[in-house]
Amino acid sequence: MVTRGRLTGWWSRTAYDLRRLWEEPVLGVAVAGIFGLLLVFILYPLARVLTVSLFPEGALTLKLYREFLASWFIRQAFVNSVVMGVLTAVGGTAVGFLFAFTLTRTDIPGKGFLTLSAILPVISPPFVSALSIILLFGNNGLITRQLLGLQDFAIYGLRGLLLSQVFTFFPVAYLTLRGILESLGGTLEDAAMNLGATRWKAFRRVTLPLCLPGLASAFLVLFIESIADFGNPLILGGSGFPVLSVQVYLQVTGMYDLPGGAALAVILLVPSVTTFLVQRYWVARKRYVTVTGKPTRAVIRAVSPGMQWTLFAACGAVALFVLLFYATIVVGAFSRAWGADHSLTLRNFGYVFAVGAQAIKDTLIIAVTSSPLAGLLGMAIAFLVSRRRFPGRQAMEFISILNFAVPGTVIGIGYILAFNQRPLLLTGTALILITNFLFRYIPVGIQSGMAGLRQIDPSIEEAATNLGASSHVTFRRITLPLLVPAFFSGLVFSFVRAMTAISAAIFLVSADWNLMTVQILSQTEAGRLGAAAAFSVLLILIILLAIGVIRLILGQLFEYRYEAAFG
Amino acid sequence: MKTRWMLCGLLAIGLLVAGTARAQDSLVVYSSVDEENAKKLLDAFTQATGVKVRFTFLSSGPAVARIEAEKNNPQADIWYGAPSENHVVLKEKGLSQPYVSPNAKDLAGKFKDPEGYWTSFYMNPLGFASNANTLKQKGVEPPTSWADLLKPEFKAQVQTPSPQTSGTGYNMVAALVMIMGEDKAFDYLKKLNPSIQTYTQSGTAPSKAAAIGQAGVGIQFTPAFLQLIEEGYPLKITFPKEGVGFEAPAISILKGAPHPDLAKKLVDWSITIPGQNAITDAKTYFFPVHSKARLAKGLPSFDEVPAINYDAAWAGKEKKRLVDRWINEVLRAQK
Repeated sequence: MVTRGRLTGWWSRTAYDLRRLWEEPVLGVAVAGIFGLLLVFILYPLARVLTVSLFPEGALTLKLYREFLASWFIRQAFVNSVVMGVLTAVGGTAVGFLFAFTLTRTDIPGKGFLTLSAILPVISPPFVSALSIILLFGNNGLITRQLLGLQDFAIYGLRGLLLSQVFTFFPVAYLTLRGILESLGGTLEDAAMNLGATRWKAFRRVTLPLCLPGLASAFLVLFIESIADFGNPLILGGSGFPVLSVQVYLQVTGMYDLPGGAALAVILLVPSVTTFLVQRYWVARKRYVTVTGKPTRAVIRAVSPGMQWTLFAACGAVALFVLLFYATIVVGAFSRAWGADHSLTLRNFGYVFAVGAQAIKDTLIIAVTSSPLAGLLGMAIAFLVSRRRFPGRQAMEFISILNFAVPGTVIGIGYILAFNQRPLLLTGTALILITNFLFRYIPVGIQSGMAGLRQIDPSIEEAATNLGASSHVTFRRITLPLLVPAFFSGLVFSFVRAMTAISAAIFLVSADWNLMTVQILSQTEAGRLGAAAAFSVLLILIILLAIGVIRLILGQLFEYRYEAAFG
Repeated sequence: MKTRWMLCGLLAIGLLVAGTARAQDSLVVYSSVDEENAKKLLDAFTQATGVKVRFTFLSSGPAVARIEAEKNNPQADIWYGAPSENHVVLKEKGLSQPYVSPNAKDLAGKFKDPEGYWTSFYMNPLGFASNANTLKQKGVEPPTSWADLLKPEFKAQVQTPSPQTSGTGYNMVAALVMIMGEDKAFDYLKKLNPSIQTYTQSGTAPSKAAAIGQAGVGIQFTPAFLQLIEEGYPLKITFPKEGVGFEAPAISILKGAPHPDLAKKLVDWSITIPGQNAITDAKTYFFPVHSKARLAKGLPSFDEVPAINYDAAWAGKEKKRLVDRWINEVLRAQK
């Protein structure tokens, strides 16, 4: 009887939601449209992959899964993936928070440089980054051998991998947390201290709890991203530290076993999806509103002078490392033989412009098309999910973040399987690359959008609605401008990934549409390390330029002031 | 503000339309030969025959995965490059179609499929590349035999590709099995573990690690060594006297190829003497497979390389079993 009561309750709520949708056609159309897109571009390709893993020879069987779960090697890879994911997420979130807190709560010099070095590592060109790490920390590395005098420092394995993973992923945490700390302002901390709290107590009892949703989503994003990533583990994990994402790739590309790779990918989804659910349950219960429409001017005094300089030193050390990392790549681009003969030359760039002009153009077109779409769609989904009631709300959030947890290799293969036949014939076109990037990289925008929205009091939006604004006017005039920092990070992230991603893209490039990352791979494979470095330098410059342009356009559109955020 | 968003949208659509309207009627190639060399060789083909070519670089794993995923609506005509055992896989998966080129009669049997499913058009032996500086610091001579690599002075100094991931790595294991017999080869590989710094995932990573001094010795096919030496890296090439395998990259015409006639022209031309000389003229560092073709300066003559009679078809058939054995015996015994 209880069940039946619940069921009727569920049904009457759903019916109520449906009626409301009917009364607000714009919302209804938006929800239906987004569901349609998610269905075609996320669920359908994944369903194709799942089908392949369950029907390897035409008949339904769990044979592949049984074989893998019985293999010591795959079990080891599974454990390694989780260990690496947790450690990367903890380390990356900590470093990201360190930077976000220091840059929003202290008055130290050199903030511009520190900000830059906290964003820059998001741009890590594939393969060349791992080479740079090896040149700095390897057997013959600048830091390990030349500076510290260590002999035969073992870079392959968990240690080297963790170093590069934290380095690559902490900016994602930084971007999420910075937006949140900024919108928190210092008022609450001031109030706490006025009431007699010590700085430490204000931090522990006010700042930290208010950051929890942000910390949780940063942790989630980092964990999922690092266990799905295969670029760093492919090179630095080596065979001594197998992880599942790499095994998926190898099963498909090394053993030519598509069904096996698909089955492994499904196994990899288990920890990702579990994390996602745990985080949802935990964060969803905590709700903080800090942007209330009341003034939030505050004096910065949350940090003691001594602490301020400690934080400065910590950030400075990381920034120095970032600087060295990129300097190494720049040196490579201008050297005759990177790592061996560092006499100055321009021939690498001459070569790059001769061989790669078309790829550079294609990459730009695809990134410029896909990232604004990803930014907008991400905000739209974040808004709908956290501010509107409609049936399937949870499902929408879940599906839209799903792609993030799936290794790129599998998505790439899912896309060819799904879009190689009429009516959805996309292979060989730019559209397949654009949709791939679009739907793969919206989750960061959605996560930071939702974390941001959780802090904006719905009463501001309600006020607008009460004053007669329709639902989309409220969204555009009230919510969107408040979401600009989150929108910015979503946009930058998807642009950067569209420029640097390779795992899915390698299956989708064609004779007509090629990408710079595939060129970098091709050049490193062929042994032209200088040319690969030169390509990477160009890639970095283009991205920096683009971030500047995005900032300018957003500033124009929403009169958002970036001096503080990116000065 | 609305207008601005609409302008952005229009711009995006414009870019898409501009981009998709590109030339369509030419030979479409998935090339596992690296971008630059593929461009040189295919340009020479276009010049000789007038056939226009559009190609995409894909290393062998992604290429097979992609050809398989596209089998209901093939996008490409030809798979160009990647060692012949990969083309054996393609044949067994039913993804290629037979074509016996009239010119194939000039090739040795190991360079072609008897039924014409694939045809090899160049070859590369496996070799050792030692970083001269690193070895000098340690006071070690470059290795000249497989047995040398077991010496303690090479402890954690050698990089070799993993057979699990890389065709090169598998080629090494299969060749050792052919040289020593299976059980002895696996004994050897287990004893080699302490010398291995890491089994790399990519077939060309060892040469780079050796070039920058991360590893003392890298094991892989020779062309990347020669390219790195040309770039100025202090590498020295040696061959193990017990013998080495080689790769013989091949061409397959894909089943359902949209332009089968153009595809046949590429197969025909690639194994003519002009087609083979193009390999040398383009400075690819590859060995031609036609005995009358020119050999590049700087390449050792193929007779000086202790190449064994590598059976690619057998290697292709035994791959899954040998790789599984390697994972369970050699990789598991590591550390």
